[in-house]
Amino acid sequence: MTDSSHSSRPIQSLKISISGVRGIVGESLTPDLLVRFAQAFGTTMNGGLVVVGTDTRTSRRMVKHAVLSGLIATGCGTLDVGIVPVPTVQVEVERRRAAGGIAVTASHNPAQWNALKFIRGDGIFLSPHQAEELVDIYHQGQYRRASTRELLPVRCDTGAARRHMDLVLSHTDGERVRARRFRVVCDCCNGAASLITPEFLERLGCEVIPINTEPNGVFPHPPEPIPENLTQLADAVRASGADLGFAQDADADRLAVVDETGNPIGEEYSVALATEAVLRHTPGPVAVNLSTTALVDRIAARHGQPVLRTPVGEVNVAETMKRRGAVIGGEGSGGVIWPAVHYGRDSFCGMALLLSLLEEAGGTVTQLVNSFPRLVMLKAKTTCSTERAHAVVHEVTTRYAHEALDLRDGVKVTRADGWFHVRPSRTEPVVRVTVEAEGEEKALALQREVMALLG
Amino acid sequence: MRPLKLSMLGVRGVVGETLTPELIVAFAQAFGTWSGGGTILVSRDPRSSGEMVASAVFSGLLATGCEVVDLGVCPTPALQLAVRDSDSAGGVAVSAGHNDEEWNALKFVHGDGLLLNAFQGEELLDVFHQGAFTPADWTEMRPLRDGADGRDALLEQAKRVIAQVDRDAIARRQLRVAVDCCNGACSLTTPRLLQWLEVEPVLLNDTPDLPFPHVPEPSPATMSALRAVVKATGADLGLAHDADGERLALVTEDAEALSEEDTLCILADFWLAENPGPVVCNLSTTLAMDALAARHNIPLIRTRVGQAHVVEGIVAKGAVLGGEGSGGVIFPRYLLAHDALATAAWLLHFLAMSGETLSQRAASIPRYHTLKRKIPYGPERIYGALYQYREAVERDSQGAETDFTEGVRSVWSDGDGVPEAAIHVRSSTTEPFIRIIAEAHDPDRAERLAEEAIARLQTGP
Repeated sequence: MTDSSHSSRPIQSLKISISGVRGIVGESLTPDLLVRFAQAFGTTMNGGLVVVGTDTRTSRRMVKHAVLSGLIATGCGTLDVGIVPVPTVQVEVERRRAAGGIAVTASHNPAQWNALKFIRGDGIFLSPHQAEELVDIYHQGQYRRASTRELLPVRCDTGAARRHMDLVLSHTDGERVRARRFRVVCDCCNGAASLITPEFLERLGCEVIPINTEPNGVFPHPPEPIPENLTQLADAVRASGADLGFAQDADADRLAVVDETGNPIGEEYSVALATEAVLRHTPGPVAVNLSTTALVDRIAARHGQPVLRTPVGEVNVAETMKRRGAVIGGEGSGGVIWPAVHYGRDSFCGMALLLSLLEEAGGTVTQLVNSFPRLVMLKAKTTCSTERAHAVVHEVTTRYAHEALDLRDGVKVTRADGWFHVRPSRTEPVVRVTVEAEGEEKALALQREVMALLG
Repeated sequence: MRPLKLSMLGVRGVVGETLTPELIVAFAQAFGTWSGGGTILVSRDPRSSGEMVASAVFSGLLATGCEVVDLGVCPTPALQLAVRDSDSAGGVAVSAGHNDEEWNALKFVHGDGLLLNAFQGEELLDVFHQGAFTPADWTEMRPLRDGADGRDALLEQAKRVIAQVDRDAIARRQLRVAVDCCNGACSLTTPRLLQWLEVEPVLLNDTPDLPFPHVPEPSPATMSALRAVVKATGADLGLAHDADGERLALVTEDAEALSEEDTLCILADFWLAENPGPVVCNLSTTLAMDALAARHNIPLIRTRVGQAHVVEGIVAKGAVLGGEGSGGVIFPRYLLAHDALATAAWLLHFLAMSGETLSQRAASIPRYHTLKRKIPYGPERIYGALYQYREAVERDSQGAETDFTEGVRSVWSDGDGVPEAAIHVRSSTTEPFIRIIAEAHDPDRAERLAEEAIARLQTGP
């Protein structure tokens, strides 16, 4: 009976994966699905406290209330922290020693999408194994059902974002950064950071020119902070003569930078520059995923520190960092993880570290970028059925068997002057191909070589 | 597992067993689809499952493109007033009324402030069963409004009620009134009403954050604490509320708990003396209503059990008053809904105007002895048993007039056509029971009628 809400249309937009449950509102992401998943998660929380926060999407209330209902029904306590960045939910889970958290956000997906991201008691997302367990509980439908006397009222707390900011700033030498009086344009994409970032930057002494800070969930451009989506920010930086521009995605875990000339330096630089900022003061290992720029290796080598590579996915990086005592890391897509603050991708950590580094380096963003070797990364994807994807990985592995291979997540081939990574997507029937080399020409040649193999 | 009851009256079940978030979001989407979007007001009584159920309702309504206004804890009639007097498309009351804490339910309100009638209720059930909801896409998502609106609805209800009665006359009587709010929604309204009427309140169980101190069904069985308070404080009367402000039962100044059937009778006797006209009650309501109708020479119309049916009868017959024996009274010129707050205000008004005590008024109500029995039956057996009983009555009505509108009702009258005794055997509308209501002047006869009916139900053909 309750399944019937979406029985009449094909569900092509639903993605249940290790990164959560994603779907399109009005199609696959129905209240029924949401209350079931919330109950499945609540079942694993065993009556503990769950922190719930949302980004700014128009569907946030529909999704949040389904989540609250499902969690309450399983006897969980619920803390509604309102519209906040995803890292705020993670920090709040840790701070309150909660059993877990649910972030209602489809991150960099367009506005018609929404999703649930599940957070464990240590503030890290569910591991693949835990996510599979959750999906099993969801499918079995045997949820913990609390009796009336076990039901707990929803608590609300609007202070979580401020505490998160305070935490990041407590790890930052604010006085030195403030002295530079940076002029900064921030593009919050009308997302979860809209209400927070301007104040955050002001507390770092910046003169802030905010754009897209209406927290209405209507995104002025696709929320993924890649160069093609940053033209408005680039224009604003040029027009205002700012020192730099920051772009955050809808849930403010990812960060990209535009330099003082209005040129997007590329989201891969966020982790690389954060690595430089931390290793200057704090020696220790660095952890990034297999697809992250090799610039991180060059920077770590300068400081004599090892780089640990992990499969793609925030949880994989975060768990490795925690286990190996990494001092900085993240993902090349713009996700900086700074363990001093917490084990989650956090654009606020990224901004604090980048401004600190820029202050120390003393010059412009362009000068800072030019002080590192220039590597060119090319990303491509090619449609490929799931069965074929494994064959492709096998073929590449066989072909390059004599080279340095990493087979933990698809196949990655590393050479002295470049590398490539062939990885079947977990969410779409595509194979992703990332190559990086010194110079555009070498990178293109490498990309051609790999793509030819994929047919 | 205790059962789920889906009916035109709404959906009712036990939380943690049958009333699941999945079911609630589906029903809320059905209602959002049925009402075609628009603004929907949502209230709840303070039982502990209220937030779980209300959150699921919000999600389902928002998913179908409705704008939602969260009134928070609020009596159901206050919700109905707010729906009627706004442009909203409807309302959802999250309340299991008189059922114990472990139950909860959804009551659906039409844009005109009335509970869905039988026809509308059937339509809603069809939408629910078909599951063909109208989902809104991300551009059609509308807000959930929150905050002070709920308190506005409470104030508005109290203001409307006060405007009906002679406030100064009540104030002059300097009454002291004990109230058992049962930690229900009326904890937020009745104390304020009494304050405005300058009635000295003696409050018990007026903390909506606490569990119900007893089953929130106002009847002599649940009024021992109220009686003790009336006695100890020398109050002029005691008022007992249900969880969502529909029903009212009374304790006299002598600390006697009146039957919940008396509430409608006492109000009707007062009302008809000033405003004669047709009155509507349900088939199970006490025979005293027939005697009162004869006293005031007005027509009495009996409908199927349930507020929605009584309201339909009121509208159809242009009745001046209506209600049910469970303690719900409807004042049509104010609001077409059971309203305990209005009932309390009118009672105080009439007592103030007449200068009488409640026990004096109760004594003037024709006395019948009423027996109510609930016989548990599995849902799969209820209709078979009732059918057998009906066949037996049809073979031998034992001199009674019979009515098969809802279950079987047999009435015995004297030579002048004034009813002497009655027995009504029907399925409960909310729980898996067969209800038996036997009435006679003589308690022994009522007892005998009930025993005979039980025997006829259980022996079969």
